[in-house]
Amino acid sequence: MLALLSSISWRHVKRHRLRTALTFFGIALGVAVIVAIAIVNRSLTTSFESTIDQIAGKAVLQVANGESGIAESLYPVIRDTPGIRDAAAAVEGFLPVLGVPGERLYVYGVDFLTDFAIREHQFSQAQFGFDQALDFIANPDSIAVTESFARRLGVPLGARLTLLTSEGQRQFTIRALLKEQGTAKVFGGSFALMDLPAAQRVFGKEGKLDIVDLTLEPGEQIGTVQQRLAQRLKGAAEVERPKKRGEQIELLLTSFRVGLFFVSLIALFVGFFLIYNTVSVSVIQRKREIGTLRCIGMRRSELFRLIVSEALILALVGSIIGALLGWLLARAALVAVGETVGNLFSLVDLIAGNFTVNELALALGSGVAVALLAALFPAWQAMRVSPLENARQAAWRPAGRQNVSWANRLGVLCIVLAPIFLLIAPAVGDAVKRFSVGVIGMLIFLLALAAFCPALIRFAVGWFWQSKLRLPGIDAVEPRLASDSLRRNPARSGITVATVVISLAAIFTIAAFVSSVRGSLLTWVDQMVTADLIVSAGASTAGPRNVPLREDLLPELRKIAGIKIIDLYRLIRSTYRQKPILIESFSARDSAAVRNLPMLNGDGRRALGEMAQGKGVIVSESFQSKFAKGRNDRVELMTPSGLIGFDIIGVYIDYSSDSGSVLLDRALYKKYWKDDLVDAFDLWLEPGTNEAAIAEAIKARYGERYQLFISTHRQLKQAVVRIMEQSFVVNYAVEIVAIVVAIFSVINTLLASILDRTREIGVLRAIGATQAQVRRIIFMEAGWMGLIGGVVGLFGGSVMAYHHVVYNTKELTGWTFQFYYPYGVALFTVVAAVGLCFIAGYGPAKKAAAMPIVTAIGYE
Amino acid sequence: MIRCIDVCKTYRQGGNDITALAGVSLEIAKGSFVAIMGPSGSGKSTLMHLIGGLDRPTSGDLLVHGRLIGQMADDQVTLFRRYKIGFVFQFFNLLPTLTALENVALPLVLDGRSKAESEERAQALLMRTGLDKRRNHLPDELSGGEIQRVAVARALAFNPSILLADEPTGNLDSKNGEAILALLKEINREEDCTVVVVTHSQEAARYGDRTIFLRDGRVEKEHC
Repeated sequence: MLALLSSISWRHVKRHRLRTALTFFGIALGVAVIVAIAIVNRSLTTSFESTIDQIAGKAVLQVANGESGIAESLYPVIRDTPGIRDAAAAVEGFLPVLGVPGERLYVYGVDFLTDFAIREHQFSQAQFGFDQALDFIANPDSIAVTESFARRLGVPLGARLTLLTSEGQRQFTIRALLKEQGTAKVFGGSFALMDLPAAQRVFGKEGKLDIVDLTLEPGEQIGTVQQRLAQRLKGAAEVERPKKRGEQIELLLTSFRVGLFFVSLIALFVGFFLIYNTVSVSVIQRKREIGTLRCIGMRRSELFRLIVSEALILALVGSIIGALLGWLLARAALVAVGETVGNLFSLVDLIAGNFTVNELALALGSGVAVALLAALFPAWQAMRVSPLENARQAAWRPAGRQNVSWANRLGVLCIVLAPIFLLIAPAVGDAVKRFSVGVIGMLIFLLALAAFCPALIRFAVGWFWQSKLRLPGIDAVEPRLASDSLRRNPARSGITVATVVISLAAIFTIAAFVSSVRGSLLTWVDQMVTADLIVSAGASTAGPRNVPLREDLLPELRKIAGIKIIDLYRLIRSTYRQKPILIESFSARDSAAVRNLPMLNGDGRRALGEMAQGKGVIVSESFQSKFAKGRNDRVELMTPSGLIGFDIIGVYIDYSSDSGSVLLDRALYKKYWKDDLVDAFDLWLEPGTNEAAIAEAIKARYGERYQLFISTHRQLKQAVVRIMEQSFVVNYAVEIVAIVVAIFSVINTLLASILDRTREIGVLRAIGATQAQVRRIIFMEAGWMGLIGGVVGLFGGSVMAYHHVVYNTKELTGWTFQFYYPYGVALFTVVAAVGLCFIAGYGPAKKAAAMPIVTAIGYE
Repeated sequence: MIRCIDVCKTYRQGGNDITALAGVSLEIAKGSFVAIMGPSGSGKSTLMHLIGGLDRPTSGDLLVHGRLIGQMADDQVTLFRRYKIGFVFQFFNLLPTLTALENVALPLVLDGRSKAESEERAQALLMRTGLDKRRNHLPDELSGGEIQRVAVARALAFNPSILLADEPTGNLDSKNGEAILALLKEINREEDCTVVVVTHSQEAARYGDRTIFLRDGRVEKEHC
């Protein structure tokens, strides 16, 4: 076999260098996307786990309740629980560093006297002893930063550092420098220690703790102590192992990660078609050579192995290059993904993904598996080539009706299977499984369309010529010959058109999904955010990046003339049934008249009225979908006041988080959560008031102190769109891959088709076709393929996109998105398909026209 | 009609120059039926390709209808070939995906004639070659003799003044071969069409008014 590969196959590769290179790069690109996404996903997991691990220190159990916090009064209860040896309480959070754009310091507020039992904080001063510690604690402006942070910002020991806190700007003195070891390594050294009471004040969490880290007495079972603690806490907080907490944060990212996986699956599917295309074309082209091999005694099984081996070697080399390319792509993607995760879920110290054996195995595994699958059918076709093929002198004969009929049978099988998968999807396992089965169903549907391509070509071209439909100039001879060639060789042109269909469907699905998410999100922001101005600190949108402020600003804002209503919005991350959720609150009492709440069903006004009266909570659609809790049900939430039950008075549409949200009135929130922080001040102005003037007034008076972001409704929408666009960066990368693969495929097939039809082209030239005519025939053939591929791809993409937006995404996220059909993209898709095919056909057309007639006619 | 003056043709193959024609000079009169014979590699087919404008001489002058065909631009020579010269090949060279009628109509279609006009002419030509009843068959469904008749009909699409046939009977049995040669002779006589046949066969050469023998790229002898 090796001898055959090195002689026959290698020479074939050398003879068709361009085609081999195109296929090779197509495979490499597809594998690169898969590897990049795998590295990004692994980096996310490793980063969260490593951050939690480093912060947890020696702790084996942690008591926490998301951003809801734990009442400090519970600390003695926790500490004195039998079996606990050490208990270290802490508050934590990010504070922007003023004067250094984008710099956020992760501040950990600890009790210096107890924390050393859990975490090893190593100070760089040789003598940071008890006296220094006392001095540190005695001064509430004390802060300890890492050596690397101090170096990076040029702030030595004793320097002042200004941070944005819940009270606005505050200056701190660096009284200690930490060695970058243990906990201090997190977030690339942007870590600071503060004394607990000082930190509580900074974060506006007086009387509350974010976390209590625990070690156990020797011989104590973790499970037993965990249970004991849970009983004593009576639902006021969760007791978990640190790893479990890491998993909870990771859960936030499930949809995001599955979405990325879906995108890489599309890249793989497109890659499959590229390999299928190449191997098929190569078999068609080498029919005579295969016939000769059969004549001189090569067995069918040997031939099969030869063809499959060729594909495998191509895939293997392509995969190795793809793996390296993927690693580079991942480094770029990590920046975008880190930004998205930071905006939407949680600030994370993303560890640049190393290239491991796992990635190499994934690259080789996916590349080789896809190549093997893609090569099976063409190899089987090669096996069926008659030994007489080499004796036939005529030009290549098109694969007869038998091939088309096989493709049709496969199409029918797929079209029957696809709805079965789609129908059973909602009934299987968890959300990820339901989503995956739905995706498989759609890919089978796409495969059906691909299989029907030869029949569709025959039908479309036949119909066109039989119909009275004529475009100016289209009645010329070249389009007739071009379309005729397609119609009479549907199996060959079908492979190219199928690749165009798959690529375009993938591109359109992603585009339609983005369009629907954008449309739904903007409509939702329009309905949900009715305020004229939104004032926040640290970032323009409520999320991991903004800094919650105290209510101090409220009386100040009331002094500004022209503001009619001020409502205070708060958003925190919490957990329900050990899964992450959001708790949102605003004062419906103040703003019900001017607010609008988009409801899944029912009346928003009535719901807001009942919310204002404190009758219960409103849950989001994804909360209902994830926890099967809806209107008239009761939900028990973990609050710093203990486990509190609330009636659900309605279900609203909320795209803040797919992990589920609970909305309640601020009064109720403050009562149970003991929290008066504010993420955003929503302002409604008096009619006729100048929006810009009010914004300017607020900025002038408080902007500097609180580092305020004052957004108009339009600006907030722009910020939302910006965040959304960023989360789709990886999707766009896949679109580019699909486009490149489509172009490669068309060039690939056209080049092969020309070689295949050398004698035919020679005959055309001999009987009087000019070079320009031959050029136009090939060019138009490419155009025809683009048009048919574009229209069928658009149809497939539309069906796939509708299912993905309306059903599949709902299964995964619980969100119902409106389907916004991107008409512009649809038109562009078809025009681009034709245009790209024309571009792809240029080189082959030129080559065909320049072919010497005598050589072409004598072509063997 | 056809005049070759010291025509040479050299090919470059694998770094070596291969001389296909080494100074051929001859004249073929209008309305004659000429057979060109010679062993393999003697330059018969090359000479025919040059006369038909499928290739260009390396040196020497080749006049067809008084025009230096080797010096024409590609488009000019293509149109010249389309209207003035008909080709019949040994391996038929029909397009396997087109029916007999469509194959015959193809040169007319390439000329931009309407489908109806092209097919009407093709139908007449097929009738002339006795294949009108097989017009809707693909080449695969025809016998060798029938395929070559279709090829002859295609070559006549524009009533060419010259018909070039490269081993037209090489792939046929003797009965079909004779029928094709008889058809070419009939065309030569009735249409006053100059026919040049490249052949290995003495029987085929007997249909010609004149036989030119080539060896090693030169004219060895001639028989009238």
